[in-house]
Amino acid sequence: MPLVRKPPSQAPATVASPAPIEGTSEQRWAAVRDAAERPDGLALLADALSREGARDGDPRVREAIFTSLARLATPESAAVVVPYLRSDDANLRTGAIDALRAMPLACLSHLPALLRDGDADVRLLSCELARELPDEEANRLLCELLERETEKNVCAAAIEVLAEIGRPEAVPSLVRCAERFAGDPFITFSLKVATERIAAPARDRQ
Amino acid sequence: MSEVEPVSPEELRAICEFLYRRTGMLFTEAKRYYVQRRISDRMNALGIAPFRTYFAYLRSDADGEVEKFINAFTINETYFYREDHQLRCLSSDLLAERVRAKRPGEMLRIWSVPCATGEEPYSIAIWLLENWPQVDVQDIEIIGSDIDTQCTAAAAEGEYGARALMRLSPQLVEKYFVPVGKDRWRVVPELRQSVQFSSANITKASETRQHGIFDVIFCRNVLIYFDDASRRVAAENLFEALAPGGFVCLGHTESMSRISPLFDVRRFRDAIVYQRPHAGGKGGGSNG
Amino acid sequence: MAETASKRILVIDDASLVRRYYREALEQAGFEVDEALNGVEALEKLLAEPADLLIVDVNMPQMDGFTFLRSLRRQAAPIASIPALVISTEAGPHDQRAARSAGANFYLVKPVAQDVLVQHVAIMCGLPA
Repeated sequence: MPLVRKPPSQAPATVASPAPIEGTSEQRWAAVRDAAERPDGLALLADALSREGARDGDPRVREAIFTSLARLATPESAAVVVPYLRSDDANLRTGAIDALRAMPLACLSHLPALLRDGDADVRLLSCELARELPDEEANRLLCELLERETEKNVCAAAIEVLAEIGRPEAVPSLVRCAERFAGDPFITFSLKVATERIAAPARDRQ
Repeated sequence: MSEVEPVSPEELRAICEFLYRRTGMLFTEAKRYYVQRRISDRMNALGIAPFRTYFAYLRSDADGEVEKFINAFTINETYFYREDHQLRCLSSDLLAERVRAKRPGEMLRIWSVPCATGEEPYSIAIWLLENWPQVDVQDIEIIGSDIDTQCTAAAAEGEYGARALMRLSPQLVEKYFVPVGKDRWRVVPELRQSVQFSSANITKASETRQHGIFDVIFCRNVLIYFDDASRRVAAENLFEALAPGGFVCLGHTESMSRISPLFDVRRFRDAIVYQRPHAGGKGGGSNG
Repeated sequence: MAETASKRILVIDDASLVRRYYREALEQAGFEVDEALNGVEALEKLLAEPADLLIVDVNMPQMDGFTFLRSLRRQAAPIASIPALVISTEAGPHDQRAARSAGANFYLVKPVAQDVLVQHVAIMCGLPA
């Protein structure tokens, strides 16, 4: 009846990966993927990232490096990624923040410094990282940011996260922020939503 | 069962936003009843109240709650000819493209992973035998893999109840199954021998690599449950397991947009599928 | 406004509150609204069902607004010619030119008041403002 055949079983030979700096982009892609399994993987990945982060680097290899670093998920692997938040290259910045978002607990020790970074874009991107942290810590860090932050779009990023994770203790900071940016219709709207959600609930009947 | 207080509009938005960000499934106030039911079910099962406490519990993913919550929103039943629009796409469009890409005599390879208890790979085989004119002249290999070896053992046995066969016409059941006891049918031997089953964890390259290169991969309703890091690795493994120009089909509520920029999106009449760019393409996620 | 009920707007922004802010204003004006949080998802949604107009944030991570627009304009009709209103934090003429050459039809700078947004959308849809 059928011509759908059951094949002889086949296991393709496994290929030893060369060091991740050499070779075609295919080879480099395979090598950086395997690096996470190697004991010297972190150093290899850090080197590979600085090579692929250059203008002639391969985006797919870069993406795989970030994935491998995210898999390692240690404060050290996060530390390799963090500097790329400052890159002039938007793709690198995006790759970095996506990698950090994929290893939230590894970022915990880095976050206070990131939220105080001199670069507003770094602060803005870093607000997202607070989302996956334990609520108390995340609320504290974001409220501290709101108290001192002068850039509107960084505040907006913090409010976006607090709209999901905000606890009652965040409300005073949100209210003060609303007063500072009373002229901005979107910030006003965001703060209203965030405070409503935190104060919520429907009709509590405990 | 205690009565769970209905969530406020803001609470609904907060949890729907969470679900949307994680899975791409978008629910609005219009679907309040549907979403509330599922929230209440989880809160009752856990004995947690009020909503704010449950939401914090969910976000912390305590005891795998995120997976359980997502489960409540996906159809978890497996049966033959599920999401048959993708099977139509396979026979109408995908295989034609793949055949053109192959050398004469080269085999087409299709992977169903995870395959659970085998309904999907057997469905693919039956569908092709019934609907693909070239099935008599083109060699096809179909492999079903799952992380659960009990599932793959059951799949190899090929026995199913009435519910699994509910979408198949009596003629198809008659043709491809033999009755084996009350309300149980077994896939006929020729068909059972046509599908190979194996174990595979798609987050482990060492396991996916053993299976070689495929033309089409069905990977439905599993990536949705993985965390970010695991999703990325799985997507890379699937990419690696595809021939350039090969296709991967996800579950119909799933999207590569949350997962990986490696694939191009292709729209066919019956389905949206994802394609590994042909050799020479950069594969940056945008289509073209 | 009976005419607006048939117009479908896709809002593309990574921030949920921004999408919510636009959605509220547009739904109140009678438009049908869908959302996407990145350009990849937006493209997929449009391939499944085209929209009448796009609102696109320039500064999105993963696939920034300009990259998305260029990708959109390479698609087959009718998706390729969907009008796009681009919203940016930058006000300079250079940025507006960049938006135009990426395929934007109109350009607004944040913060955009809700009524201003609705006015522009109405005009772009060929409706009374």
